[in-house]
Amino acid sequence: MDDSSRGLISTLGRAVLNFINYFGQLGILLGEGFESLVKTKPRLHLMMEQIVRIGFGSQVVVIVTGAFTGAVFTAQSYFKFRDFGIESTVGSIVSVSLFRELGPVLTGLMVAGRVGAAMAAEIGTMKVSEQIDALRAMGVHPVDYLAMPRFFAMTISMPLLIAEAVAFGLGASWFVAVLGFGIPSAWFWMHTIDHTNLEDLSYAMIKGLVFGMLIVVISCHQGLSTTNGAVGVGQSTTRAVVFSSLALLVTNFFLTLLLNYIFPMGTIT
Amino acid sequence: MPAPPSAEPAASPFIQIRGLHKSFDSQKVLQGIDLDISRGETLVLVGPSGEGKSVLLKHIIGLLQPDAGSIQFDGTSLCGLSERQLAPLRRRIGYLFQNAALFDSLTVAQNVAFPLIEAGIKNPAEIKSRVQEALEVVELDAHTEKMPINLSGGMRKRVGIARAIVGRPEIILYDEPTAGLDPIVTDVIDHLIKRLQKRYHVTSVVITHDIASVFKIADRIVMLKNGIVYFNGSPDQLRHSPDTFIQDFIAGRSGMTS
Ligand SMILES: Nc1ncnc2c1ncn2[C@@H]1O[C@H](COP(=O)(O)OP(=O)(O)OP(=O)(O)O)[C@@H](O)[C@H]1O
Ligand SMILES: [Mg+2]
Repeated sequence: MDDSSRGLISTLGRAVLNFINYFGQLGILLGEGFESLVKTKPRLHLMMEQIVRIGFGSQVVVIVTGAFTGAVFTAQSYFKFRDFGIESTVGSIVSVSLFRELGPVLTGLMVAGRVGAAMAAEIGTMKVSEQIDALRAMGVHPVDYLAMPRFFAMTISMPLLIAEAVAFGLGASWFVAVLGFGIPSAWFWMHTIDHTNLEDLSYAMIKGLVFGMLIVVISCHQGLSTTNGAVGVGQSTTRAVVFSSLALLVTNFFLTLLLNYIFPMGTIT
Repeated sequence: MPAPPSAEPAASPFIQIRGLHKSFDSQKVLQGIDLDISRGETLVLVGPSGEGKSVLLKHIIGLLQPDAGSIQFDGTSLCGLSERQLAPLRRRIGYLFQNAALFDSLTVAQNVAFPLIEAGIKNPAEIKSRVQEALEVVELDAHTEKMPINLSGGMRKRVGIARAIVGRPEIILYDEPTAGLDPIVTDVIDHLIKRLQKRYHVTSVVITHDIASVFKIADRIVMLKNGIVYFNGSPDQLRHSPDTFIQDFIAGRSGMTS
C-alpha cells in the first residue's frame, strides 16, 4: 500500500470515528435530558421566556414563509392544472403538500436558522466566558437550566408554528387561486377540504415535534461543547444551523417513509 | 492485628488532596499536589502566573477531574462523581472565578440572588435583604439593577464576591479577589475574608498575587511551583524562608536591571 492510499484510509477512518463520536455525544446529552426530566422540576419561568423567544419571535418569519410558499405553489400548480382543465382542484395539492412537506420542512429550516443559531451562540458564549462553569459551581446542571427549558419551549412551539405556516399558506393559496385566477371560492374549499384529512395533519404535527427536537439537541450540544473563544462561538453557531438543517432534511425522508407506512396514502379519498 | 479505629474523625482535614496530577494535552500542569485544608482556616495560594493555581481551585469544587490522585471533601471523594452527585457538595462551597463569570443575561441583584434561589429560598423579602446585605459588604448596593456588561472590572469582581458569599457557604474559594481593585477596596475585601472566618468559621482558600494581602489574611501559605507544592507554612516561615526564589517572589525581584 502506498503512502497516499494509507493517508486516505486513515483520514476516512478518522471521519467515521468522528461521526460515531458525535452521535455518542448527542446520545449522552439526550440521556442527561431524560435524567433531568425524571429527576428535576421543570423551570417554568425559563420555559416561558424561551416560548416567547422561540414561538413568539418566529411569527413573522414563519408567516412569510408559509404564505409565499402557498402562493407560489398555487400559481405553479394552476399553470399546469389549467392544461388539464382541473384548475379548480388546485387547493387539494397545495394543502396536502403544505401539511405533509412544505409546512414542516420550511418552518423547520427557518427555525433552525433563527433559533438554532441563537441557542448555539448564547450557550456557546456562556461556555467560553465560564458562565457554564459558574452554573456548575453553584450546583446547577447546565442541561437543567439551559437545555430543558429550550427543549420544552421548542416542543410546544414547533407544532403551533407549523400550523400557523400551513394556515397562512392555505390562506395565500385561496388569495391567489380565487382572487387572482378566478376559481370559485366554494370549489376551491370543497376540493381542499375533501382531499385533506387527519393523516395530513398528523404528518405536520409529528414532523414538527421531531424537527424541533433535532434542532434543540443539535444546537444545545454545539453550544455546550464550544471551546476557543469568539472563533469557537462562530463555528458552533454555523455548525448548529448546518447540522440541524441537514439532519432535518435527511430525517424528513425517512420519517416520510415511516409515516407513510403508518398512514398509507391513497387508501382514504 | 486490625488497625485501631481512627482517633477522631472530626480531626480529618476538611479537604484532603493527594497525588493530584493534571495535564492539558501535552502540558503537565499539576504534578503531584498533596495538600490538607482544615476547617476554619484561611489558606493563601501563591505562585508564579500560569503555574496552575486556578486549575487546583477548580479541582476542589469538581469543575475539573484529576488525571490521577484524589480529592476528599469533608470525607467524600470527588473523583468519579457525576455532576448531579456533586451538586449538593458544591452548594456548600462559594466560588469566585478569576474573571468573575457573572451571568450576563441577569442584573447584578439577580446574579447575587441566584445561589439563594437555587438553595430553595422562596421568600422574596428574605432574598432581597440578603442580596442587599451581600452587596453592601462589597460596597455595591447602589448598582443593583445594572447589567454586568455595564460594570467596571473591579465592580464585576465584587459582584462575584457577593455572589460567592451570599449563600453563607462553609468554604469559599477566591480566585484573585482583589486583582484590579483599588487599595482601599482591597483592604475592605481582606477584612471581609477575615470577618467571615471569625464570625461564621468560614474556611477560605484565596489565590492572590498581592503580597500585602497575603500577610494580612493568611493563616497558612502554600506556594505552587513547577506543578508541586513548593512551600507550605505560616506567614512567618515564609518571611524567614532561606529559599532565594521565595525571597525574590515576596520582594518582587526579577533580577533585571534597566
Ligand atoms: N482548560 C484548559 N485547557 C488547556 N490548558 C489550560 C486550561 N486551563 C488551564 N490551562 C493551562 O494550565 C496552566 C495553569 O493555568 P492556571 O489558570 O491554573 O494558572 P494560574 O496559576 O491561575 O495563573 P494566574 O496567576 O495567571 O491566574 C496554564 O498554562 C494554562 O494555559
Ligand atoms: Mg489563575
